[in-house]
Amino acid sequence: MSDFLFELGVEEVPVSEIKPILNQLKQKFQYKFKEHLVGFNKIESAATNKRFMIYISKINKKANDKEEQIKGPAKRIAYDENNQPTIPLQKFMEFNQVEPGELSEMETPKGIYMVVNKKTEGLPTYDILRHIIPETLKELSFAKTMLWNASRIPFVRPIKSMLALFDNKIVPFEFAGVHSSNSTMGHLLLSDEPLEVNSFRDYCELLDKNFVIFREEERKEKILREIKEIEEENQFRVEMENRMFEDFLYNNEYPVVFCGSFAKKYLDLPSEIISTFMVKEKKLLPVYDKDKKLLNQFVGVSNIPDEGQNVVRGNERVIRATFEDAKFFWDNDRRDDFSALGEQLKNVMFHKDLGNYFEKTMRLLSLVNLLLKETNLEKLSEPLGEAAIHCKNDLVTRMVREFPSLQGIMGGLYLREKGEKEDTWKSVYGHYEPKGFNDVPLEHVGAGILSMADKIDNIAAFISKGIKISSSKDPYGIRRDANAIIKIIIDFKLNFNLDEAIQAAATEFADNVKTLNDTLEQVKELFLSRIENIFKDFLKIRYDVVNAVLNRDDLRVYNLYLRAMDVSKIVETDSIDDLTTLHKRLKNIIKNSEPFDISEGALVEKEEKVLFEVYKESDAKIEKLISNYEYLESCSIILEMKPLIDNFFDNVLVMAEDRKLRENRIALVQLLDKMLSKIADFSLIVERA
Amino acid sequence: MSLQDIILKLQEFWAHNGCYVASGYDNEVGAGTMTPDTFFRVLGSKPWRVAYWQPSRRPDDGRYAQNPNRVQKHNQFQVILKPVPVDGQVLYLRSLQYIGVDTHSHDIKFDEDNWASPSLGAWGVGWQVMCDGLEITQFTYFQQAGGIELNPNSLEITYGIERLAAFLDGKDTIYNLEWGNQVTYSQLRTEEEKQFSIYNFEYADIEFLRNIYEEYQKEATRLAAADLYLPAFDYVLKCSHTFNILDARKAISVAERNAFMATMRNLAGEIAQKYVQATEEGENQ
Repeated sequence: MSDFLFELGVEEVPVSEIKPILNQLKQKFQYKFKEHLVGFNKIESAATNKRFMIYISKINKKANDKEEQIKGPAKRIAYDENNQPTIPLQKFMEFNQVEPGELSEMETPKGIYMVVNKKTEGLPTYDILRHIIPETLKELSFAKTMLWNASRIPFVRPIKSMLALFDNKIVPFEFAGVHSSNSTMGHLLLSDEPLEVNSFRDYCELLDKNFVIFREEERKEKILREIKEIEEENQFRVEMENRMFEDFLYNNEYPVVFCGSFAKKYLDLPSEIISTFMVKEKKLLPVYDKDKKLLNQFVGVSNIPDEGQNVVRGNERVIRATFEDAKFFWDNDRRDDFSALGEQLKNVMFHKDLGNYFEKTMRLLSLVNLLLKETNLEKLSEPLGEAAIHCKNDLVTRMVREFPSLQGIMGGLYLREKGEKEDTWKSVYGHYEPKGFNDVPLEHVGAGILSMADKIDNIAAFISKGIKISSSKDPYGIRRDANAIIKIIIDFKLNFNLDEAIQAAATEFADNVKTLNDTLEQVKELFLSRIENIFKDFLKIRYDVVNAVLNRDDLRVYNLYLRAMDVSKIVETDSIDDLTTLHKRLKNIIKNSEPFDISEGALVEKEEKVLFEVYKESDAKIEKLISNYEYLESCSIILEMKPLIDNFFDNVLVMAEDRKLRENRIALVQLLDKMLSKIADFSLIVERA
Repeated sequence: MSLQDIILKLQEFWAHNGCYVASGYDNEVGAGTMTPDTFFRVLGSKPWRVAYWQPSRRPDDGRYAQNPNRVQKHNQFQVILKPVPVDGQVLYLRSLQYIGVDTHSHDIKFDEDNWASPSLGAWGVGWQVMCDGLEITQFTYFQQAGGIELNPNSLEITYGIERLAAFLDGKDTIYNLEWGNQVTYSQLRTEEEKQFSIYNFEYADIEFLRNIYEEYQKEATRLAAADLYLPAFDYVLKCSHTFNILDARKAISVAERNAFMATMRNLAGEIAQKYVQATEEGENQ
């Protein structure tokens, strides 16, 4: 059994590209081994920003032999009257390099055909590799490519080396002007000469000696262990972001965690600014004490051991300069009258066809007022009106121009500094949140209202401009915006119908009734599909329950949510069978009928009279219960009625000969169906196994 | 090591490595990339190796001499290697060693940072080189200049001299650096930084600047049409610097910014085309 070691050495590849490249390499090698009938046992892969390693072990020395049957001409035209091969057969034999004795016959539905059974001997794996390695490299795709040498081959970053060993022997090939070899590089800073590698064992040992931990899990373990040690030693907690961790993991071939500090006076800056500048600008992590208070320390990851404390001292100097910069922005921005910046928003485009941000804030003001009315939060209208007008002012501050990710947050902080009401500044502070359904909930309902207004406006704006979204395309993130709106409604228990707000938002962008209706239709469609998706995928509600609750014309999101949750409980009980059977029966009877009005005087039989009386009572009760979201209780009322309904069906013929009687009875069934449907369409619940 | 020693050492190092050592350009530029020694010479097919010290102006970076390492005028050391050498990274690390950086005990990282100059229609792929968290160099493989795809590509290495010096000296602020022979950076620069920060952020006359921007633009257009691409380029540089002051003065809206960028980019593109035509066809270099 043989083995194959491949390492692609490159100049520092962006972290976001690393995993996709490694996956492609792995998959392509696996695929090509199969395609060429080369058996192998195991494939291992690893990457840093400077190298991609593939190791395949227990490989067959050569590919499997291939046996195939090649079909030639039909027998009836293969031989002439003298039993000599005709021209078609001669050509066939020539092409396949066979003698007449090697031919055989094959029966097919179309008659007998001449065939050759050809056996191709498998090529040595070594020869196959010479071709498939450059082929694989050529097929790789990247988010962004560059050119650097005369080969003019676009690649992610310049290639430095290609180590390729099959059974410890170099596999010779060339790609992008570079030749394969048996050498690789050690650590950029701690290893000078190229390393000559003669086996996989060599590779592991040499990299180890030359400060390269090439396996991700080993680097990960080292970073996490060292962070934990530092946390314990200093009695603080490091806040790790996922993206930063990826960065540490792949950008350091020999990661070493270090810890430094800065002057306490910088803690006077808002903690949001401190942590943003640290993380985004300097890739350093903020640390907190047990009360979640930001400390004047930081943690970072170096690519070399820091025995001389050079790295810590350097980073401490740098972080000081960075905070000085932050202070410059913070001090300068506060010198301007933040509330007066709105005038400048007239020069800031929202989108090239959708006007400027000043106009947007005017739209937000009216949307906010509408939402406050709908949610009975009118008491917030003054502070939230201020928030709506000023929420985009920070777009023209130095701080946000430099750090767009601080938008909203800075607006809130500048308003706070100005002494604005808490309801105002907190609303602005949080109005870009939440970023999706799984994000943390907002704390302030005002921020929720402003965030919804901002997002409904985005959705209506982009949809009205004909922006189409699909599963892979959502250039303005409007699907995420819709998810955020649904989350806000659920988190703050806001019971209102989204319809009004959508109408108001869409009207702003409509040129005529037709485009308005198109936009409304698409926006509703978007929300319905997001609600469905969130219920099923995030809240893990059964699909039949979701179907039973959702209704095309109903955008009372909170109401839908509560009903879905309660019906989920009901379907776990035995009562569901009764409800499903009952509702199916009702639906079945009225399925082809037009709606009729009931006339109490036309009720004849005792059973129908009683049922109608009880219905009136129950429906009133259910209405009341529903207004308090008590769906479970509403179901019990229906279940209590069930014997009466059954009794009605057993003793009264709905489909009576007499038209008047018939229509009146159907009207009664229609009323019952309507009552049940206020909770859910139970006929859609799938029976339990 | 003083700033002047770093400049001398870098000149020496790159002279040994095949570069012609040029002087910086005598026009306000935002970066070493914007001088004719880079902008024009990366175009076309002829090999080129140049190294020069280039004072660079970025009005928006002024901090009234209050920030330890941010200034509205800083010094770059620019190297262009065309075509790209196979061992560019190694050469660069050796140049650091040459000016006294112990590359075995500092955390030197190549951090993704693709460079683009929208006003020059130029972009490249590369990294900012971080040393113990401090950005000391921009390391870029040029892909396009003046909207023209480059073949061969050039490697551009741009050192930030103040930062390198502060790093080598372990100084907390560049104002404490020695320029050379007891002359301090503070002595040379503090007043300049203060005055220019006041000018750029508070005092620059917006109307005047808008007017001269327009005049410069007209002149550049006129000269380019007359195939005088070298003086035409000078006026594009003047446009660019004027724009930068207006920007620092917050006199430019986002919408306007795009329009400004587009005019400069178009001019730079036209000038680049003229240069390529003249040099590649006439072989008159």
